[in-house]
Amino acid sequence: MDFGFKLSPSSAVNLDTVDRRRYDRLVQLQPDALTCIGCGSCSATCTSASWTGMSVRKVLLGLQRGRDEEVDKMLSGCMLCGKCTMVCPRGINTRQLILTLCRLDKNGEVVR
Amino acid sequence: MRERFASGFDPFVIPFVIGMIFVLGYCLIAMVRVVCQLPKADRKRFLLSLITPKYIWMNVRDIFLNCLIHVKLWKRNKVLGYMHSSIAFGWFMLIVLGHLEVMLFVPERIRFFYYPIFFNYFVAETEQTLQGALLMFLMDFFLLLVLSGIVLAIIKRFVSRIVGMRRTTRLSVLDQVGLYSLWAIFPLRLLAESFTAHISGGSFLTIPANWVFRQFLGNDLNALPTWWAYSIALCIFMCVLPFTRYMHIPAEMLLIPMRNAGIKIRHPRKGFALLEVYSCPACGVCIDACPMSVRKANLRDCTVYLNRMLRRGNERRIAEISDKCLLCGKCSAVCQVGVQGPELRIAQRERRKFALSPSYADLDVRPMAEAVAGSGGVLYFAGCMTQLTPSILRATGSLLDKAGVSWKMMDPDGGLCCGRPLMMAGRTEQARELIAKNVEIIRASGCDTLLLSCPICYRVFKEEYPLEGIRVVHHSVFFQELIAAGKLPVQREDGLRLVWHDPCELGRGCGIYEQPRAALAAAGEVVEAGKNHAESICCGGSLGSLSLSFEQRRPMTQNALDNLTVADPDQIVTGCPLCLATFVRAADRPVRDIAEVLNEHC
Amino acid sequence: MVNRQPVVAVIGAGIAGLEAARQLAALGYKPVLIEKSSATGGHVAQWNRLFPDMTPAADVIEPLRAQTAGVKTLLGTEISAINRLKDEYNLVLSDGSSLLCQAVLFATGFRLFDASKKEEYGYGIYDRVITNRDLEHWFNTREDQRIRQPKAVGFVHCVGSRDLKAGNTQCSKVCCITAIKQAIEMKEEFPDAEVYCFYMDLRLFGKKYEDFYIKAQRDHGIHFIRGRVSEVGEAIDGRVVVKAEDTLNGKPVKVTLDLLVLMAGILCNPDAQRYARETGVAVDEDGFLKSRDNLAAITESSRPGVFFAGACTGAKTVPETLAEARSAALAIHQYFSKRV
Repeated sequence: MDFGFKLSPSSAVNLDTVDRRRYDRLVQLQPDALTCIGCGSCSATCTSASWTGMSVRKVLLGLQRGRDEEVDKMLSGCMLCGKCTMVCPRGINTRQLILTLCRLDKNGEVVR
Repeated sequence: MRERFASGFDPFVIPFVIGMIFVLGYCLIAMVRVVCQLPKADRKRFLLSLITPKYIWMNVRDIFLNCLIHVKLWKRNKVLGYMHSSIAFGWFMLIVLGHLEVMLFVPERIRFFYYPIFFNYFVAETEQTLQGALLMFLMDFFLLLVLSGIVLAIIKRFVSRIVGMRRTTRLSVLDQVGLYSLWAIFPLRLLAESFTAHISGGSFLTIPANWVFRQFLGNDLNALPTWWAYSIALCIFMCVLPFTRYMHIPAEMLLIPMRNAGIKIRHPRKGFALLEVYSCPACGVCIDACPMSVRKANLRDCTVYLNRMLRRGNERRIAEISDKCLLCGKCSAVCQVGVQGPELRIAQRERRKFALSPSYADLDVRPMAEAVAGSGGVLYFAGCMTQLTPSILRATGSLLDKAGVSWKMMDPDGGLCCGRPLMMAGRTEQARELIAKNVEIIRASGCDTLLLSCPICYRVFKEEYPLEGIRVVHHSVFFQELIAAGKLPVQREDGLRLVWHDPCELGRGCGIYEQPRAALAAAGEVVEAGKNHAESICCGGSLGSLSLSFEQRRPMTQNALDNLTVADPDQIVTGCPLCLATFVRAADRPVRDIAEVLNEHC
Repeated sequence: MVNRQPVVAVIGAGIAGLEAARQLAALGYKPVLIEKSSATGGHVAQWNRLFPDMTPAADVIEPLRAQTAGVKTLLGTEISAINRLKDEYNLVLSDGSSLLCQAVLFATGFRLFDASKKEEYGYGIYDRVITNRDLEHWFNTREDQRIRQPKAVGFVHCVGSRDLKAGNTQCSKVCCITAIKQAIEMKEEFPDAEVYCFYMDLRLFGKKYEDFYIKAQRDHGIHFIRGRVSEVGEAIDGRVVVKAEDTLNGKPVKVTLDLLVLMAGILCNPDAQRYARETGVAVDEDGFLKSRDNLAAITESSRPGVFFAGACTGAKTVPETLAEARSAALAIHQYFSKRV
C-alpha cells in the first residue's frame, strides 16, 4: 500500500549511539581541534565553500554528531589553500587537521 | 727506480686490497641500482647524455670543479674551500702521480692496483729520479697539501666558527670511525714514506723526516708496521665509506651527470632521490641556513638529518621532518652538492596513503569562464591569500588603472586555488585537476598576460600550467616594466628607506630578485637585509609546512624580521600576501606590499 | 626613612589613577600623578557616553578631576627609569627630574589593539572601516568624513581579542556591551539604517547588560549574527562587503555596508610592561601585570610597596576600575600602617 508518504527515522542526533571514533582519533593526533570555538571564520573565508559547502567548523561538529557522510563530502572539496589556517583565532592548524582526517578510515585508524 | 722485491707483494697490502675491492664493488652495485631504479624514460635520457659530447664536457667540467676543486665552497668560505679542495684535489693528485710513477718506472706492475699506492715501499731509488727532482717533489707537495687540509679539518671539528659555521652535524658512530680513519691515513702515509725514504727516495718532506727518524730509530724494522698501519687505515676508511657521509664522494660523481641530464626526483626513496641522499656530505651548512633552526627543538629537522633518517629508514622521523619543513628552499640554495631538500620532502609527502582524497572533477567553472570571456589583455588572478590582504588588491588595481592597462580580475568573488598548496602537501594528482579547471577559465578569457600578486600562485602557474602563448608575470616585475617604460610616473621620496624581503617562492623559487628592487628604487632608497637574495630568510608563514603550529612559527618570523631590519629601514616591503600578513602581526614598523608602496608614490 | 607624609607615585592619570590619588590624599598621603599624555582622564575621557545608563563620560571624569585638583600632577611626563632602593623607589622622569617615593601604584591602564594589524579587515585601507574609538570620537566631535548618513552599519566584535594571531587570546570583556551601546546609538542617530553585530559569543555579564541586549533586539531591531567576520572586500560603489558565516544557520553570509566598526580589544599598555620589569614585578602570561593573588589580592603585586589598580591587570569596566582604585588606596594605607 502506498500512502503517499513514509515514516522516516527521527532526525534528532542521539549522542548515546553516535560513533565518534574518527573524532576521538583526530583529537588524539591533533589536540588543537578541541579548542575550536565555532566562530565560523574558516567557513566564511573558505575558497571551496561556495563550490562544495566545505567548512572546517562543520566538519568538526559533524564528526561529533555522527554525520560522517556530510563530513566526507565537505572534505573532498578542500583545496588546502590555507586561508582557514590564516584566519583561525585559536591558531588551529586546520590544514594539517584536514590532511590528518583524510588519512583516517571509518574506524578511526590511520591508513597505511 | 729498481724493484726491491721480485714478487712485488707484501702481506701488508692485503687490508688495502680488501677495502678497495669492497668499496669498488659496493659503489658499482649501488650505482647500477640507482640507474636501474630510474623510470625508463629518465634512464634512457641519462644514458644517452653519457655519450653526448656536450654533456660529456659538462660532466667532466662539473665533476672537476665541484668534486675536486669545490668551487662553490670557495665562494662560501675560503677556509672551508681550502680545506676541502686541499684534501680532495691533493689526494686525487697523489693517486694520479702514483700511477704515473708506476707507469714510468715499473710499467709491468700497473696491473697490481695497490702498486701506485704503496710504490715507495716496493722500489729503491736509482739515479733515474734525479734525487726526486720532479715527481717525488710533487708527491711530497701534494701530501703536504692534504695534510694542511687535515689539520684544518681537525681544528674545524673543535671550533666550527672559524669556517663560518655556527653549528655542524652531530656525527654518528660510523661517521666518526670514517672521520678518524681519514685523519689517520695521511699522517700514516707520511710516516711510512719517511721510514723508507732512504731507500725509495723522497723530497723536501720525507727526506728530512727520514733523517730525523734515523737519528734515534736506527732500525729498518720500524718501516713495515707503519706501512701496515697506513694500509689498515685505508682499509677501515674504505670499508665504512658506504655507510658514512663519505659515500658522498662516489655518489656525487654520479649525481652531477644525472642532474646535468635533467633527471628529477620521481620516487621518494629510489633512483635520483636515493642518489641525493647518498650525495649528502652531512656538512651541516643547511642547519644554520634553515629558518627553523632558531628554535633549538627544530635543529634536527633540517635536510642533513632527513637524509640521515632516509638512509636509516626511520619512518617516524622521516614523516615528522618531511611534514615540518617550510619548503623555503634555503637548504638547497646553500647546499654544496645540490641536494634538493624541498623536493625530497614533497616526494615523501606524495607517498602518503589517504582514506579520502578530494576531487574537483565535478566543479563547474563555466560561470567563471563566462564572466571573463573575451576580456583579452591582462587577466589578474589575485588568488586565495590576496583575498585576505585587501591592501594588495586595491593597490594593484589602482596601479593598473593609472598605467592605462586594460585588465580584468579573474576571481573578483574568490576563485579556485592555484594548486600549489596541494602540490606542497604532496597531493599532486589533485593539483592537476585544479590546474585543468583554471586553465579552462584563463583560456576562455583570451588574455595575453596573466598577472599574479602572489608568488605561490606565480610559481605554479609558471612551472606547471600549460599556458603557451600567455605571459605569466608577477606584479613586481610587471610594474617594474611599466615604470621603466615610463607608463607609471612613480615619484621618488627623499629619505625613504625601503628594504625588500625576497619571498621564498619568488626569489629562490623563480629567480626573481632584481626587478622588485629596481621598481622600489623608483620610490625610495633600497637598503638590504642582512641575508638577502638567495639566502633571504623565510617569514615563517609558509604553506609548505604542514605541522608547524602558529606558536612555533613565531620565533622564525621574529628572526626574519630582525634580519630585515639590520639597516633600519622605514618600511619593510615584500611581494607576497602571506609574507605580508605574517610580518604585519610581528613587525615594529610598517610592512607593505610593493604595489602599495608604488601606488602611494604615483 | 619614611617621611611623616609618605609619597605615592601614581603612574597614569586615567580614572584608576585619579580615583586612587583622591583616596590617598584623603587618607593623608602625598600622591603624585604621573601622566604621559597632556590631559588627565585616560581612555574614558575620550569616550562620549558610558553603558549601561548612557551616562556622559564627562560626568565621571569631571568630579574626579575636580577632587584631585590639589594633587601634584605631572602631565606630559614619562618615566625614563625606575630604581629600586631599600623600602623606596626612585623614578627618573622624562623632564630630567627624579621622584623619590615610598610606594608605587600602577594605574597604567590599557592600549587599544591596532586594528590595522588585522589586514583582512582593511582598517586604514577602506574609508568605511573605523574603530570603536573613532566612533566615540565622532559622537564627541561630529568630525569624521567617513561617517555620512549610513544605510547599513556593521559591528565586528573581538577584533584583537580572543585571537592568537593578533597576540591576545583573552576576552576584552567590555567590547560586547560597548558594541551594543554603539549599535543603539547609531540606530538612534540613523533610524533607517540596518545595524548588524557580528559576534563569536555574547558576553553580557554586568548589571543591566542583559536589559541592554534585549533593548537592542526589541526596541532597535539590531541584527545579531553569530559568526566572526573573515574578510572585508570592496564593492564597485566603494561600499564594503563583509563576509562571515552565519554559524546558527550554517551558511556563509555576505552583506554590503556603508560603515563597519571594529571593536578593537584591550591589551596591556606596553609601557607598563617595561615599568614592571624595572620595578621587578611579574608580567602574567596574558601580557597584563601579575597580581599577588587573583582572588584576594588583585591590587597587590608580588613586591612590597608596588600596587595595581584598574586595567593594568586585565580588561575592566568603569565601576570595577573605580572600586579597585579605592581598594588599592586602602591596601597602600595598610602597607604604611604596618610599617609605622
